[in-house]
Amino acid sequence: MSEFEAYRGLFVAESRENHEMLVKNMLILEKGGSQTAIDEIFRSIHTLKGASASMGFMEMERLCHTMEDVFQMIRSGSAVISAELNNLLLACSDIIELMLDDVEGGGDSSSVNPDEQVKALKQWLSKNTGKPVEEVTKPAVKQSKATAEKIKEIVDDTDRPRYSVTIKVADDCAMKDIRALLAIGNLESLGTILSFNPSREVIDEGEFEGTLQLKIASDVGEDALKTAATGTDIASVEIAPAAEEEPVPTTETSDDAKPEKADTKQQSAGQDKNREIKHLRVDITQLDHIMNLVEDLVINRGRLKQIAEQNKIKEMDEAIGMVDRSVSDLQNLMMNIRMIPLNHIFNRLPRVVRDVAQYDGKDVEFVIEGGETELDRSVMDGLNDPLLHLIRNAVNHGIESPEVREKAGKPGKGYVKLSAHRDRDNVIIELLDDGGGINVEKVKSKAVEKGLITKESAATMTTDQAVDLLFLPGFSTADKISDISGRGVGLDVVKRSIESLKGSIRVETNPGKGSRFELLLPPTMAIVDVMIVRINKRRLAIPISSIVEVANFKNDSTHRIGKSDAILLRDEVLEIFLLDDMMGKSEGREILIVVQYQKRKCCIAVDIVEGKQEVVVKPLSSIIGNTRGVSGITILGDGEVVPVLDVNTMV
Amino acid sequence: MGKILIVDDTLFMRTLIKNILFTGGHSIAGEAGDGEEAIAKYKELKPDLVTMDIVMPKMNGIEALKGIKAIDPAAKIIMCTAVGQEQMVKLAIKSGAKGYIVKPFQAPKVLEEVKNVLAS
Repeated sequence: MSEFEAYRGLFVAESRENHEMLVKNMLILEKGGSQTAIDEIFRSIHTLKGASASMGFMEMERLCHTMEDVFQMIRSGSAVISAELNNLLLACSDIIELMLDDVEGGGDSSSVNPDEQVKALKQWLSKNTGKPVEEVTKPAVKQSKATAEKIKEIVDDTDRPRYSVTIKVADDCAMKDIRALLAIGNLESLGTILSFNPSREVIDEGEFEGTLQLKIASDVGEDALKTAATGTDIASVEIAPAAEEEPVPTTETSDDAKPEKADTKQQSAGQDKNREIKHLRVDITQLDHIMNLVEDLVINRGRLKQIAEQNKIKEMDEAIGMVDRSVSDLQNLMMNIRMIPLNHIFNRLPRVVRDVAQYDGKDVEFVIEGGETELDRSVMDGLNDPLLHLIRNAVNHGIESPEVREKAGKPGKGYVKLSAHRDRDNVIIELLDDGGGINVEKVKSKAVEKGLITKESAATMTTDQAVDLLFLPGFSTADKISDISGRGVGLDVVKRSIESLKGSIRVETNPGKGSRFELLLPPTMAIVDVMIVRINKRRLAIPISSIVEVANFKNDSTHRIGKSDAILLRDEVLEIFLLDDMMGKSEGREILIVVQYQKRKCCIAVDIVEGKQEVVVKPLSSIIGNTRGVSGITILGDGEVVPVLDVNTMV
Repeated sequence: MGKILIVDDTLFMRTLIKNILFTGGHSIAGEAGDGEEAIAKYKELKPDLVTMDIVMPKMNGIEALKGIKAIDPAAKIIMCTAVGQEQMVKLAIKSGAKGYIVKPFQAPKVLEEVKNVLAS
């Protein structure tokens, strides 16, 4: 085992890919599928089998082997796949996943017992193999060919010396018959084989015990024949002149001097190039560590810049410029390395949809688009659970049962689409369903019932506002907690998870026609472009991605609306935030920063704009508690700790 | 010692074979991940020997074997097989494969087969 330890990571990574392909194609197969899907499944299982056997993970190998037997039959067309078999095979693939978990954790797959599945597969095999097994043996054909062989011996009367050869294949050889065929092939290239015992057909059928006798007419000599018959797994070769007893002078026959060999030496320098390893798999903790170091570099680069500016050291400018460029490149490179395509988590979802739909007795078509869009690994990690929850919701709560759908004049099969694309600053993930939509009235009455809002405010609420209620803690419209989506986690948790990734979530619903969830995520989390502003001499960082405009602030143009001030800017009434409680009172406010979150805008009045900068946002410690309005802090070059404004929670 | 082209659709298997071949003092001409690539790499690299997986995407090992044999009838190709693939291997042998190794690979067996086929 230990000699394979070095391959464990690689094994797990590739096997997981194969497992994903397996599940993906099995779902295609379930929908009607094609021969390509069957071939792909066969290939995945075959690879899993080979790899697990190589690693010595025998339980996994056993399960895969049996699955392969089943698919061998399906592939050859001698059996068809039933819904029952498909379920069984999916259960098997679940077992494989558990085994891979076990292997990843250092085990050898034996902590998961596949007995039940293997037994069920074997039962299926015995039910379905009855006929084909009988067809395999064809004694009649064998005999006639054997006779043909004899005729050949009589007819072939060359003058060449004849030898009888006895070849014994090693006992521990796998596929003895093929060894025999290889030896026969080698001998045939040197002469004419006059007879076989057992016959060639018997060997072809795989009924070969390990000893082969044959007669050959050849003039290359005993030694050459012996060399030709000898090979891997050949225990012994006995050779003797046959009947005629005509001794043959043994001469050097062969072709030692091969031109290719000379070639080999000459090219050996070039080969080293081919041996270069092009891809490496790196432990993610090491990448995280490098990322931290890059962040430190970014902070210190800022410090260096400031020191040089303050002290007007010209000589340092050039050096700092170089460092600046290197650090930027390094930072970009690190960002790219950490990017993973969304398929990483998308690929698991068709299975989830299938399971939920089957459990609920629904028929759902699930489409994925844009899985190649890339996200930072840290964002990806936090996205898995919320996405899973939303998908379950869409099928469980969104899509109606086929009967209800048909009554409503819709096709019985529901439609759920998950798509992703990259916009200028964000990755947008969209989840669409053509289900019943969100029942706004039900949402409102539930919220009133739970004391989250008053009856009066419910009456004046817009649809958008009512839908937002879904995200309040403690809200759930499902009357009963279902096994599937109601695991005690509500949309509020989904919202919080997405916000902790510096993303946002939005819902649109169309009663009777379906819902649309939109997730807006930053492709990376750690390094953000910000605008540094000052209010009351203190600094504040505002993410550039949420700024839409910087305008002049004329105090006389403000209007009092309710409790706050507002300004009319380009025909829009925008609320003004002074942030007095955070930054202190200031008299010198001259600039308005207009910020936007989704469709809502507001503005922040500041004294001056200092400039744009790339900063590393460090999250606040949980000890600090509720910090609405601040997403984290950053350390600027001069060591000042500056809060980073969280626009999402302000507007 | 020979210059060998490794054909297999998984990095895992390729790495395994590669390391075994290194311990036997062989050098690696290159690697290919499917049948089509195998033929292209064979033309380009002219290896002394090819280890050929059978079940692969795009073009399987048998077809790739035939393709290589069409370019170079003297090509030395060893099939990488598993228990249960006897019929495929026989087909490969009839199409001109010079040897076979059986998964899970045992280093001494692999090296012996490579040595024998190279010497043939």
